[in-house]
Amino acid sequence: MSERSWKDALGDQVPADLGKEIDTWQGQIDLKKQGELGDKIFAETRLRRGVYGQRYDNGLRDDGTGQKPLEFPCGELKKGPDTVWDAPGMQRIKIPYGRVTAEQLDVMSDLAEEYSDKILHVTTRQDIQLHFVHIEDTVPMHRRLAACGITTREACGNSVRNVTACQFAGVCHSESFDVTPYADAITQFLLGHPDVQDFGRKFKIAFSGCHDEPCGLVTFHDLGATAKTKDGKRGFELVVGGGLGAVPVEARVLMDFCPEEELLPVSQAVCRVFARLGEKQSRARARIKFLVQKVGIEEFRKLVAEEREQLRPDPRWTDFLEDLRGPDEKPVRDAAPLPDEGPERFRQWAKTNLRPQSQEGYYVATLTLPLGDISSEQGWILADLARKYTGDSIRCTVEQNLAFRWLSGADALAFWEALDAIGLGDAGASTITDITSCPGTDTCKLGISASRGLAGELRKRLTVLQDELDPAVQPLRIKASGCFNSCGQHHVADLGFLGVSRNVGGRKVPHFNVVLGGQWTENAKSYGMVVGAVPSKNVPQAVLMITKKFVDEREEDESFQDFIKRVGKFEIRNLLKPITKPPSYEEDPSYYSDWGDPREYGIGDLGVGECAGEIVPFVEFGIQAAEQTLDEAQDLHDVGEHGKAASKAFRSMLTAAQALVRHLDHEVRDDADDIVKLFREHLHDTGLFNDPFAGGKFASYLFNAHSAGDETHWLGADLDAAHRLIDEARLFVEATHSAYGRIGETPNLTKLQSAATAAPAE
Amino acid sequence: MTDIQHAERVQVKLFASKPAADPLDLVPVFHRWIREDKVPGELLIDVADYTHVWQGPGILLVGHGIDLYYDLGENRPGILFARKRELEGDLKARLIDALKRALTACKELETDGLEFQASEVLVRVPDRLHAPNDDDAFTAFVPILEAAAREIYGADATLVIEREAAGKREPLTARLRIDDAPPVAALA
Repeated sequence: MSERSWKDALGDQVPADLGKEIDTWQGQIDLKKQGELGDKIFAETRLRRGVYGQRYDNGLRDDGTGQKPLEFPCGELKKGPDTVWDAPGMQRIKIPYGRVTAEQLDVMSDLAEEYSDKILHVTTRQDIQLHFVHIEDTVPMHRRLAACGITTREACGNSVRNVTACQFAGVCHSESFDVTPYADAITQFLLGHPDVQDFGRKFKIAFSGCHDEPCGLVTFHDLGATAKTKDGKRGFELVVGGGLGAVPVEARVLMDFCPEEELLPVSQAVCRVFARLGEKQSRARARIKFLVQKVGIEEFRKLVAEEREQLRPDPRWTDFLEDLRGPDEKPVRDAAPLPDEGPERFRQWAKTNLRPQSQEGYYVATLTLPLGDISSEQGWILADLARKYTGDSIRCTVEQNLAFRWLSGADALAFWEALDAIGLGDAGASTITDITSCPGTDTCKLGISASRGLAGELRKRLTVLQDELDPAVQPLRIKASGCFNSCGQHHVADLGFLGVSRNVGGRKVPHFNVVLGGQWTENAKSYGMVVGAVPSKNVPQAVLMITKKFVDEREEDESFQDFIKRVGKFEIRNLLKPITKPPSYEEDPSYYSDWGDPREYGIGDLGVGECAGEIVPFVEFGIQAAEQTLDEAQDLHDVGEHGKAASKAFRSMLTAAQALVRHLDHEVRDDADDIVKLFREHLHDTGLFNDPFAGGKFASYLFNAHSAGDETHWLGADLDAAHRLIDEARLFVEATHSAYGRIGETPNLTKLQSAATAAPAE
Repeated sequence: MTDIQHAERVQVKLFASKPAADPLDLVPVFHRWIREDKVPGELLIDVADYTHVWQGPGILLVGHGIDLYYDLGENRPGILFARKRELEGDLKARLIDALKRALTACKELETDGLEFQASEVLVRVPDRLHAPNDDDAFTAFVPILEAAAREIYGADATLVIEREAAGKREPLTARLRIDDAPPVAALA
């Protein structure tokens, strides 16, 4: 008897076009195994199928006593440069605007159980991810997903990523209209479109139904569309060039009002301009935000308008408009008001997790998922609950939760009891206990600190305290990112945390930069500023200290953002000063490992000599001085001295660069030209300063600042320029820490330079 | 017609009679297992903590061919051994291997103060292509499981095999009960 395959078993349940794509993917896997495809080409191919690398996929892992090889059976076979074939990876499943049907939830739960670790992880961009997946299992996974209407095409790679939208679209009181059909139309239109295949970097689109609520988060997207009406006609305010990442940028208004029939052609024109003029060589500057900054928004508008004029008409631009009025889902139960009675826990849950829809008698129930995770078993039960109570109305949210729409008030108690029976009945949606986190060092190749470990610990501690927390503190949002790529969206949290590392006494200590006062409302209107780094193990204490100060000193009805602005970051930094320095390793070694991971942090990358802890190398004084100068820049910026702040920020970069140049035994003067020249020669051109994943990105910050002018030039900087330079300087100084960590206290240049051939990040 | 013999994944869970005081205690233990290469012939990669998930996978020791969970399913902690790649032999051979390795893992953990019982084993075949959760597949599975269990527990052991999770979504699942089963350490 011949062995069956999913291709045979599913037959014509898989749409022909998707089936063909998956056959091609299978063919590419076969070709790679036969040595017929290069590593780079195959890597981009798999990324465009949502098949990601994962931590340790270079075949090396630090087990706490040093870096050890992972001897996978595949030998030399690779699935990308420096990426071992057999190493477990991550499958990102693209869920347009977060909408999931009961059948799809069932299937994804099956897949998680069979091919992954029985966990479905909801991401901050409404995707679902499965981890620890073998590349050869992705083919049957893709077929089974396709059979229920899901494609993973362009879930990653330099393409249009998942199109996100407000989870309340169509049922919201404050929206102009339901953006769901528009998000759906642009998803279908751009998927595989020839005009979006030649980007230098990824491109993210988001929709929001209104300006004031945060759900759509359009301001930090490459292209954002906010619903609005003008003279009774539907359209969108379009913004372009926003982004988080290392240096957050607020999107600029491209069109104040784009009529609905122009949404797709204008978006296509934006994509064409990006593909034509966007940076292709340097990944660090390849997002559209850099193009918009480079040419200016006026010129960008002109380019888009010209491009729009050139486009050949496409019936798909308007076909979808013929049938889009009203919500795309229908309730399965009759509308009814919420009952007055019920146990106290239910009442608490209803208060934070139920939101009345614009359709009377119906509610959106938000399920708070700890760290965005559910098990396969929970997934199957939730699919059944959807069938019974709400229909195919589930939406993944950008806060890593699930929203069930169209819940009748009469069913709310029974629904909650069913949730509670599977551990999902906790209150606290969109409160301080509902913490968002990227995967961090748990599974991400780029993770610097354990953002999930931190988020889990904070959640545990704050849940215990929840009833005692002041009402002003309860609605604050906490978000954590494991590295500067900011997938945890910490920039827009009230209390954001960004993973960094620090060298202390010859060892590395996991830290988080504290980022305060980001604004989540009004579509994530403004970004927080870095206050300073705190050892990971002191972050829970930092949260309590900051929130206590807020409660004690806030003026009547003062928001957290206003409070932070008023007291200033200098004062917050002083508040945190007693907990910014970790104890020595001998005093408390727990500071030298990260949350949830007993291994000593980063010891495999840093040799520890006999003198560690006794002698502070000269270079460390230099980096400390750079940090001090940067703090002064921040203080000046806070009091409106933007020019002086920018000048100081530039000097902090020079000081850090100078410290590293000296560390390599080169004589260097204090003037900018000499520092930059020698830094370029000995640290940049040799690859020593290159980040293993970001490459020369951080060095480019110094070069760009220097080419713009000297410290006097920067005295003329305005608020935006100073803000950006401070952010870049902070990243540059962080990179100096990392480079010093790699170089070590006693540089062995021959060895270092041969190891400095960095592979490009995914 | 079932082709359960081609099933590519099997899972075996033994329940703890004396569980860990805190499931997180298993995190450093599993990291140590990686360092000390405690599962012979298997590449161990990393440890994942899912204790925040209700009755979920608990603490996971991720490997290349196998995974080992300190599983919290059914609200009954236990060791769940999962074979996922690098298959050898027929289904019976895979079940025997899985049972042996689960018992060995339990025996090892008993040196850390945990205790396990060998009298009840949850067996899953999470491979919906080759082992759908239906009557035919279960009928075909029972004699294979029984033969595998007798290799471990002895030809004369009194075995009861019950079907669990009869339905379409959960994987094919059986609960194996063994009267007068010896201690884990005697079987491993």
